[in-house]
Amino acid sequence: MKETLNKMLKIDRRWLFLLLTFAIIIPILKPIGIPSKSTSDAVKDIYDFIDKLPPGSTIILSLDYDPSTAPELHPQAAVVLKHAFKKNLKVIIMTFLAGSGGLIDELVRTIPTKYSKEYGRDYVLLPYMPNILAALTQMSSNIYAFYEKDIDGKPLREYEMMKNIQSYKDIACVVDITGTAILDYWVAYVGDKYKVPILGGVTAISQVGYGPYLQKKQLKGLIGGMKGAAEYERLISEVGKGTSGIDALNIAHILVIVFIIFSNIVLLILKFL
Amino acid sequence: MKIIKKYIPLAIVFIFGMITLASYYVPHRTSEEYLEWINRWENIVSAFALFLGMISLFYVHYKKIERKVDGWGYSLFVYIGFLIIMVAAMISHGDISKGGKVTCLGWTFNNIYNPLSATMFSVLAFFIISTAYRAFRIKSTSAFMLFLAGLILMLGNIPLGEIIWDKLFSWTHITIAEIKNWIINVPSTAGKRGIMIGIAIGAAVTSLKIIFGIERGYMGKD
Repeated sequence: MKETLNKMLKIDRRWLFLLLTFAIIIPILKPIGIPSKSTSDAVKDIYDFIDKLPPGSTIILSLDYDPSTAPELHPQAAVVLKHAFKKNLKVIIMTFLAGSGGLIDELVRTIPTKYSKEYGRDYVLLPYMPNILAALTQMSSNIYAFYEKDIDGKPLREYEMMKNIQSYKDIACVVDITGTAILDYWVAYVGDKYKVPILGGVTAISQVGYGPYLQKKQLKGLIGGMKGAAEYERLISEVGKGTSGIDALNIAHILVIVFIIFSNIVLLILKFL
Repeated sequence: MKIIKKYIPLAIVFIFGMITLASYYVPHRTSEEYLEWINRWENIVSAFALFLGMISLFYVHYKKIERKVDGWGYSLFVYIGFLIIMVAAMISHGDISKGGKVTCLGWTFNNIYNPLSATMFSVLAFFIISTAYRAFRIKSTSAFMLFLAGLILMLGNIPLGEIIWDKLFSWTHITIAEIKNWIINVPSTAGKRGIMIGIAIGAAVTSLKIIFGIERGYMGKD
C-alpha cells in the first residue's frame, strides 16, 4: 500500500500533461454549456459606463496584448468593440505593443462589417507607437503631434470622425486591454493627471492587483480574464470566444484543485502508515 | 578622455533629468513644447537602441554557431526566423492586410508568430499542473492559508465553482463571489498597495540617484 501510494506521488508528469490535454480539448470539441450565474461588479461597471455614453462619443481603445495572452484578452477586445459599435460610439484603436498588429487586424476585418461601420467615419486605426510615455503625455494637448497619420499613412485630421478631436478633452473614455503594465501608465499619466475615465481589461492573474485602482475609482471598471469576457458577452447578449472557452477553463481549474487535494491526502495517509 | 567618458555623460543626464522632471510640474506652453521635443529625441534614440540590440543578438548567436556549442542549431533559427519575417515584411511593405486580403506578412503573423507565441505561453499550463500535483505540499499553516485563498479565487473564477459552492455551502448564505471579492478588496488590495508604494518610492529614489550621478551603472564598467 505504501509503495503504491509513493508511486502515485511520483507519477511520470507526462500522464498529468495528457490528462490536462484531454480536459481542455474535450470541452472545446463538445461544449458542455455550464451556465454562469453571477456578473462581477467590475465588469458591470465597465458595461454601464460604456452603455451610458451618448451616441457619437469618441473613445480610445488601446489594444496592448500579443498572441501569448490573446486567448484571454482577444475576446475582451472583441466584446468591447461590439458594444461600442452597438452604442454608435466612434472608436480610435491604437497599440503600444508591436506584436498586437495581427490581432487588431483580425478584429477590424470581421467586426465593423457586421455592424455596418465604416473606416474613417466610425473607427480609425493608429500606427504602433514604441514610446508610450511620450504618446500619452503628448495626446493631452495635441493628438496629431504624435499621430499625424493613420496606419495606412493617410492624414488623420482628414477623417470625418476626427474633425472635432484635438486632445483628451474630446475623448469620453479610454479602454485599455492589456497583458502588460500599460494599464498602469494610462491610469497614472492620463486618468489621474488629465481626469480622463480609464477602463481596463486584463488577464485573470493580473486582475487581483488592480484592486487599489478599482477601490479609489482610478479605474472605472475592469474585465478580468476569459470569465470577465464571458460575463460581458452575456450583458450585451452576444456569444463569443469568451463564452465558448469557459468550459475548458472550468475543467482545467477543477483538475488543478483535484490534483492538489489528492496529492496532499495521499501524503497525509503516507504520514500515518 | 575622462571628460568625454565620465563628466559629459553625467552632465547630460543631470541637465536633461532635472529639466524633464521640472517640466512635468510646470503647466506652461514652453514646458509642453520642451516635452514634445524631447519625446521626439527619445524615439530616435530608441530606434538606435533597437538596432544595437539586434546586432548584439546576432553576434551572440553567431558566436554560438561558430563555436558549435550545445544547441547551436537553435541559434540558426534566429537568423532563419528573422529572414522569413523580413522578406515577408518587405514584400508586403509592412502591411498585415490590404484591401481586406491578408498579405504575406499577415500570413506569417497568423500562421507562424501567433501559434508559436500562444504555444510558448500554453506550456506554462502544463508546468502548473505538474507543480500542483508534485510540489504543492500543505505542511504549515501559511501553506494552508495560501491553498485556501487560491482555492476560493479559483472556484470564484469559474461558473462550475459557483455551482459546486452553492451545492455544498448554500446554508452559509454567502456566495463564493462575495468571499472572492472580499479577498481581492481587503487583504490582497492592502498587500498590493504596500508593494506599489514600495516600488514607487524605490523607483523615485533610483531615478534621483541616476540624475545626481550616484548610480552610474548605465555608463559601463570603466
